[in-house]
Amino acid sequence: MSDSDVRIGVFVCHCGLNIAGTVDCPRVAEYAGGLDGVAHSEDLMFACSDDGQETIKKRIREMGLNRVVVASCTPRTHEPVFRACIEEAGLNRYLYDQVNIREHVSWVHMEDHELATLKAEMLIRMAVERVKYLEPLERKAVDVIQSAAVIGGGVAGISAALDLANAGFETHLIESRPTIGGQMALLDKVFPQNDCAICILGPIMSKVGQHPKINLLTYSEVDDVQGYVGNFHLKVRKKSRFIYEDKCNGCGECEAVCPVSVSNTYEFGLATRKAIYRPFPQAVPNKYTIDKRGTAPCRIACPAHVNVQAFVALLREKKFDEALEVYRRTSPFAGTLGRVCTNPCQTECERGKYDEALSIRNLHRFLADYEREHGGVNVDPITPDKKKAKMKVAIVGGGPSGLACAYDLAREGYPVTVFEARKEAGGLLRWGIPEYRLPRDVLRDEIGILKQMGVTILTRTKVESIDELKEQGFKAVFVATGAPKSRMMRVKGEKAKGVYHALSFLDRVNSGKTVAIGQKVAVIGGGNAAIDAARTARRLGAKKVTIVYRRSREEMPAIASEVEAAEQEGIKIKFLSTPVEILTADKAVSGMKCIKMRLGTPDESGRRRPVPIPDSEFKMSVDTVIVAIGQEVTQDALLTGLEPSMWGTLEVDPVTLATNMKGVFGGGDVVSGGGTAIEAVATGKEAAKSIDRYLRKVDLVEGREEILIPIENIEVDETTFQMHYAPVVRALSMSKRKSTFEEVELGLKEKEAVAEAERCLSCAICCECEKCVEVCKPEAIDHSLRDEIIELDVGAVIVATGLSAYDPSGTREFGYGTFDNVITNAQLERLTNAAGPTQGKPKRPSDHEVPKHVSFVQCVGSRDRRVDQDYCCYIGCANSLKQAVQIKEKFPEIEVTIYAMDIRAHGPGYEELYNRAREMGVVVIRSRPSEVEEVPETKSLIVYAEDLYTGERLETTTDLVVLATALMPNTETAELAQKMKLSTSKHGFLMEAHPKLRPVDSFQDGVFLAGAALGPMDIPKAVAYGKAAAAGAEALMAPGKFFVEPIYAEIDTELCINCDLCSDVCPYGAITGRGEERRVMFELCQGCGTCAAGCPEHAIDMRHFRRQQLMPEIIAAARTGGEMVQ
Amino acid sequence: MKQTEYTPNIVAFTCNWCSYGSADLAGISRIQYPPSVKVVRLMCSGRVDPLMVIESFKNGADGVMVTGCHLGDCHYSTGNYRTKARFEALQKAMKLMGLHPDRLRLLWASASEGQQWAEAIIDMTERLREIGPNPINNGGGGK
Repeated sequence: MSDSDVRIGVFVCHCGLNIAGTVDCPRVAEYAGGLDGVAHSEDLMFACSDDGQETIKKRIREMGLNRVVVASCTPRTHEPVFRACIEEAGLNRYLYDQVNIREHVSWVHMEDHELATLKAEMLIRMAVERVKYLEPLERKAVDVIQSAAVIGGGVAGISAALDLANAGFETHLIESRPTIGGQMALLDKVFPQNDCAICILGPIMSKVGQHPKINLLTYSEVDDVQGYVGNFHLKVRKKSRFIYEDKCNGCGECEAVCPVSVSNTYEFGLATRKAIYRPFPQAVPNKYTIDKRGTAPCRIACPAHVNVQAFVALLREKKFDEALEVYRRTSPFAGTLGRVCTNPCQTECERGKYDEALSIRNLHRFLADYEREHGGVNVDPITPDKKKAKMKVAIVGGGPSGLACAYDLAREGYPVTVFEARKEAGGLLRWGIPEYRLPRDVLRDEIGILKQMGVTILTRTKVESIDELKEQGFKAVFVATGAPKSRMMRVKGEKAKGVYHALSFLDRVNSGKTVAIGQKVAVIGGGNAAIDAARTARRLGAKKVTIVYRRSREEMPAIASEVEAAEQEGIKIKFLSTPVEILTADKAVSGMKCIKMRLGTPDESGRRRPVPIPDSEFKMSVDTVIVAIGQEVTQDALLTGLEPSMWGTLEVDPVTLATNMKGVFGGGDVVSGGGTAIEAVATGKEAAKSIDRYLRKVDLVEGREEILIPIENIEVDETTFQMHYAPVVRALSMSKRKSTFEEVELGLKEKEAVAEAERCLSCAICCECEKCVEVCKPEAIDHSLRDEIIELDVGAVIVATGLSAYDPSGTREFGYGTFDNVITNAQLERLTNAAGPTQGKPKRPSDHEVPKHVSFVQCVGSRDRRVDQDYCCYIGCANSLKQAVQIKEKFPEIEVTIYAMDIRAHGPGYEELYNRAREMGVVVIRSRPSEVEEVPETKSLIVYAEDLYTGERLETTTDLVVLATALMPNTETAELAQKMKLSTSKHGFLMEAHPKLRPVDSFQDGVFLAGAALGPMDIPKAVAYGKAAAAGAEALMAPGKFFVEPIYAEIDTELCINCDLCSDVCPYGAITGRGEERRVMFELCQGCGTCAAGCPEHAIDMRHFRRQQLMPEIIAAARTGGEMVQ
Repeated sequence: MKQTEYTPNIVAFTCNWCSYGSADLAGISRIQYPPSVKVVRLMCSGRVDPLMVIESFKNGADGVMVTGCHLGDCHYSTGNYRTKARFEALQKAMKLMGLHPDRLRLLWASASEGQQWAEAIIDMTERLREIGPNPINNGGGGK
């Protein structure tokens, strides 16, 4: 490598005065001439010019030079030029090094010419040391895939795609919105001729949609980009529209029935759109899209997954029967659970994070009550499935679990029989919960739904064994017999007269039997049964009712509103106390001895364990004690043969609910030992799922889980949000509450319910109410569709991801977001657009009146260091002038004022536009307004400004203020730049390889940049950039081959010890094989050199940056200190 | 020699994509800084073998800067993570070599951060003036 016959040529460039103005080039050339190995040294005026290059080539030939060093500008610009130059002279292009004495020396050390010159000399010495060891390298050619990807479907992307497609290249156009068109499609008119934007763009968009060589992927995002020039591999996520594009004909009937509206970003917040929507009438592709963000948190929280958001949305539209029908997709108990459910949905309601959760339970209660008041419960009978006639199902236990199971199975067409031992079905809903919470007829009517559907309910029928059911021909059994036994306290005196246990106590009352109750009642426990027992005792005449609970209020498992209602009825609660003995006299209760408790460490449920405080006993004067400390399963004959759990409940598989007996499943309290009604309903539904699969002989587990996707970021439009609490539900009068069993909670009135439903934030946006599915004649809607990952192999990529407008609520002085009549340019564009929300009349937001005076404020957020955006938005002046002219043309009597620091009217047509505006009477004031205030009565505004020409202070009242806002890069641009390793500028725009000469190239070969993603620009510039990028891509693809830089790693297998340190650090997996076969795959190696830096044996090395080539350079660099010392 | 008079010699390893670009941008923006730094251009900061840093100090460099792209933005995905690990090991070794830890510095600079490049050089030059020249090799000298 290093020969004694190395003949280096050094060429020191003046670059006019750029270098020579600071560095003494002749002296540097002389110094270089004296270095070891340098055969020739001279200084040139412009090395990169034709002349300069000719000189270099001549010297190579004349002097037999075999290495070249050029000291000039940055190699990042002209290294390829000089390499090509020496190649033309017959020298291998890699026997070259370039020294940066301009950007790194002459331009940054302008104060000290002496030191700058010395540094230049030192840098050249470093390069000379390196270049001695450089070796000739051959470039390898790789095939270039003959197709391209354009990311971004705005006007730049569209222009690029069309040119590429017309040239014959397969082009994939990837756009994240459901339609192409970008910002331009949303404009009204474009300057300076004031053409209608969509009129000129629309036909071009259609061409894109129909072009045989363009693969249009809308509503799609790039997830990943791998590969290198000529061979890129993209993973594109095509988001699900939930609509089959080939079936949708754009008729719009779905949109009309959708109950969910959200703010329309295509109207910049001035109007709403439905969850199923089309961005605008000229959208390409002209298909509808469903905006579904996931599953609303309320639906996920409900154990039975009732579609809460859907029924609330329909309620809001006053479609009460349709809303009730949605509830009934899950269970028949809208009214029952509407009264007694513990509503876990409300705990998770997103609204609760702002003001108060929605009163969801009372909303579906309202729907049930509404039906009762308007004709009563009426459900169609189900036609049984003939094929399933022999698949009889027996359900033992007519409580909520069993009934829910029957409901689902009946709807699948199975013949179902429910066996209920008591005289009436309902389980604890009928026999446990008191009537003042759940009136009998509400429950009866909802159980009646099952009967109307064709389910057989046999009351007063106790099943003794599973076998007897099998003998009767039942093919599957669901055991849901509950846990109706009360748990014993196990204290002395528990068997005395006057001691009751909650479940049997409530059962007796609910059976209409008399119960002897004293005057002073103590209820032991803190759950719902305790509250029910206490409030029932009150109604039976007890004067003093006290609940005794061993923990504190925070740990009480009872529903908070129930506890509150009990206290309102005069019931007292003694916390942190528990009985140790029931005192008796004549075998009847005479009092109760209790002990005080304190809270210790938490137990398995997470609640703090109560610990008795020694010597803190006290006596309570009571004559009745009701024990409500929990439920137990009775050891029925039915359960013989079925495996019990260690707590005495029925043991079942947690997923399938199968017991140890084939075809027998279990659920509800008999399995859980005591849960809520909605949990019981949920298990009943799971059992139905299992039984259905069991009878169809399908796997019980695979694919059974309902797919619920939590929403990562629930978007709430905070500008339109208003705090508003839930209505207080009317209740029965207190006098009646203490003496009768009449229903206490009276529910919501219609007006209240609809208003409450309006508070719903529509978290998931599309709620899957499926009204759209019902009206779609081509059957194009399918809510089960999912995102698709599409993999593309392309040779070139064009990034044209565009920009977005600045949100001016940041610069609070202009009142955007607070004052109604302060809008942005983009919003005004929609107001003057005939297809916009006001059909082309610039009506102001507060009163929809046409303003008499409009003011434009320029440079809002632009040229502003306070928000780190000190660049000009390029189009603000022209845009406002255009809009001012538009207003004046249609409404000449409207006064228009523009407050601007400058008017930037560049290029042909713009000065004319400015003059036309002035002639039409638009007043331009040179100023920067300091503040905008609102006049509260009229909602008009006062603009405070100083006229910089006259020095006058101005206070002008105006009806509408329009802010010309700054332009910023899209958030998508930043993400994509990271994925593709594209450089971004200080403000986040993409950075081109050279601002003057390479405006559409990125630093990555094969990746081109176009349009406003590079910085604010107008439409013709964006189109030009798009076409230029296409030309660049075509130039890359057309030859079919690309020369890969031979800067890659190599392994000397003699030295390699196969330690794998190199392959561990290689980001491209380019190292393969072992022993003698170990090698670097040059197509994958990108030449970073990280492997070489870590090899302990110096076995793997980077060509052109080898250890032997770099070390001499580094040592020379380190040793230059001596000469620099003064 | 007076310590305040000497121009420290800093060897800076740069990567072709980000930090070399930031040095270029400082030049294009005409931001002035002392002529202390000698840039060694590499494709990636991951190419910096710790031995290169040690050789620099051995041969008299007053300071060494290892520079590259910001973490997460490496042109070669993960190269600069290795740089960071190697740098941290070198930092520990500085004491063993009898060198002041401030002689070794890590700088992540993107191609649009010309100002930061200049500031880093100004800063380090100032610091090296305070600490004095490299005790090894009497601060350079000799070819």
